[in-house]
Amino acid sequence: MRVCMVVVVLLWISGLAWGLPANGENRGQVSILKLPPDPISFQPGSGSELASRYCLMCHSAEYVYMQPPHPREDWMEIVNKMKTSFGCPISNEDMAPLVDYLVTQNSLQPFPTAPPVQRDDQKDTPDQSSIQSGDSQKGKSLYERHCVTCHGPGGKGDGPIGPVLVPPAANLTLLGKQSDKTILDTLRKGRPGTAMPAWEHDLNPQELNHLLSFLRTLTP
Amino acid sequence: MNEKKTGIDRRQLLKGSLALGLTGLLTPKGLWAKDSSTVTLPFERGRRPLVAFPQKRPLMVMTTRPPQLETPFYIFNEDIFTPNDAFFVRWHLANIPQEIDMNGFRLTIRGRVKQSLSLSLHELQTQFEQVEIAAVCQCSGNSRGFFQPRVPGGQWGNGAMGNANWKGIRLRDLLHKAGIKGDAVEVRFDGLDQPVAQATPDFRKSLPLDDALQEEVLIAHSMNGEALPMLNGYPLRLVVPGWYATYWVKMLNDIEVLNQADQNFWTTHAYRLPANPCHCVKPGESLTDTVPMGKMPVRSFITNLEEGRTIPGGEPCTIKGIAFDQGYGMDRVLVSVDGGQQWLSARLGKDYGDFSFRPWEAKFIPKPGHAYALQSLAINRIGESQRFGARWNPNGYLRNVIETVNIQAS
Repeated sequence: MRVCMVVVVLLWISGLAWGLPANGENRGQVSILKLPPDPISFQPGSGSELASRYCLMCHSAEYVYMQPPHPREDWMEIVNKMKTSFGCPISNEDMAPLVDYLVTQNSLQPFPTAPPVQRDDQKDTPDQSSIQSGDSQKGKSLYERHCVTCHGPGGKGDGPIGPVLVPPAANLTLLGKQSDKTILDTLRKGRPGTAMPAWEHDLNPQELNHLLSFLRTLTP
Repeated sequence: MNEKKTGIDRRQLLKGSLALGLTGLLTPKGLWAKDSSTVTLPFERGRRPLVAFPQKRPLMVMTTRPPQLETPFYIFNEDIFTPNDAFFVRWHLANIPQEIDMNGFRLTIRGRVKQSLSLSLHELQTQFEQVEIAAVCQCSGNSRGFFQPRVPGGQWGNGAMGNANWKGIRLRDLLHKAGIKGDAVEVRFDGLDQPVAQATPDFRKSLPLDDALQEEVLIAHSMNGEALPMLNGYPLRLVVPGWYATYWVKMLNDIEVLNQADQNFWTTHAYRLPANPCHCVKPGESLTDTVPMGKMPVRSFITNLEEGRTIPGGEPCTIKGIAFDQGYGMDRVLVSVDGGQQWLSARLGKDYGDFSFRPWEAKFIPKPGHAYALQSLAINRIGESQRFGARWNPNGYLRNVIETVNIQAS
């Protein structure tokens, strides 16, 4: 094991040495892409949790709200395509209520769009004292409503959808070393490049604190 | 002098507010940069917030995840080359790399080749001839929001296109270096973006071998003299001049030469057109026989006057615009001010190459108090013109009807 690591490190160093471009234009360059969180979420209503669970895995709610009015058959076809062509794990019994919800959202007037962009320093960040005030029982019911499909009842990332995601849903029993702020930031903003959406539009700061308190009970 | 200048700015601002109120399609730069956070496209559900994504100025956000950003249309009047920070953005899959380490980045060429290759950006920039081409990159669904009846899909206005100077190496130089085997028929391209769900097909596109070997097909590392923005495909993007942007694979890192037709989802099921000469069907009709998306039909746009604008009557008015096609180049652009009853020739501007936007302009003297329906009609060098009636297909592709801009003379 140790030998392997030494070899890897040596390869890495020698790779750096001979991979250096003469003109150095891109030498050692790591380009970072930091994308913004989803600006809107699905509006409350019967079936909204299905849309949040399935649709937000891969794309923001704007995909639905930018659509002009389409008949129900079109929405059925779209949802079918998401299931069969794009591999969204929608169960058969969830199909009709999900389509019903999308049809109601498609007729909203006015339709939801992103609010004006808010600078980070204008947003409230829960401080340490409010973090302490979370109620883990309330957090548990929020967890069962919003998180369990991906992260599983015990938080191991083994919910019905969790393992099919790339990367798979996180194992929340391993969060022990992460600070409250890191976890709350992830809850609020989501994790770009993964199916974890931003929850700051759906859950208020108090609810996020309840969730945090519950997540702390999952750590052994 | 200063006072006078301020006065003009205010008037323009007022005019701009009016235009925004009516259509929002074109907005003076000063206005939206300072006062406006949204643009409203002239169709139902056309409100788009303006947000600055990384390496981008505020653009019209159609969707945030994955990002789909539209260029506000007035940009096309400012420069024949679309600035990198204003160039439209369209991704299919949300799992876009958050960082790219160029020490580790390699472009691989494999499959039906005599010698597989794995090349760093530096090797591509130093071991191959560097070539440059001006070319229009246009989304297959550009202008989908204008389809009547409306169709599902990304609801773009006319700003899902851009023109840039692309610099890189010829794809065929790379394929010849690897050595193409005798049974090769197609070349497939894959980028670093990945699906979020395991079962979602990875986004890959293929070109027939003959098309892939055309001289103008590039692997670009630069755009308008700078590295590609991350959202436009840094570090490498396939550039297929004349073809719709679906083939211009971003963050390109893998090229595979195939000895049979590509069967991947994005080629066999997505980006398909009705298999008839018009690539259209009657509204509501579904598709039976289909063919893959291909090259772009000829289009033109008026860029300096937006719907609802009031212009001074009795003074010469210049109508400016752009035209482009799949690479035959423009023969002429005709302009009408009366909704297509009479046409006069526009003067073509500088020619930046057959795949580029071609600027044009025409003048007329509007009569005070009259309304005008401005139209432009581009005809390419093989005599193809824009369509007089809009075609319809269920995916909202290939719009190239003559567009109309209604204005009023004061």
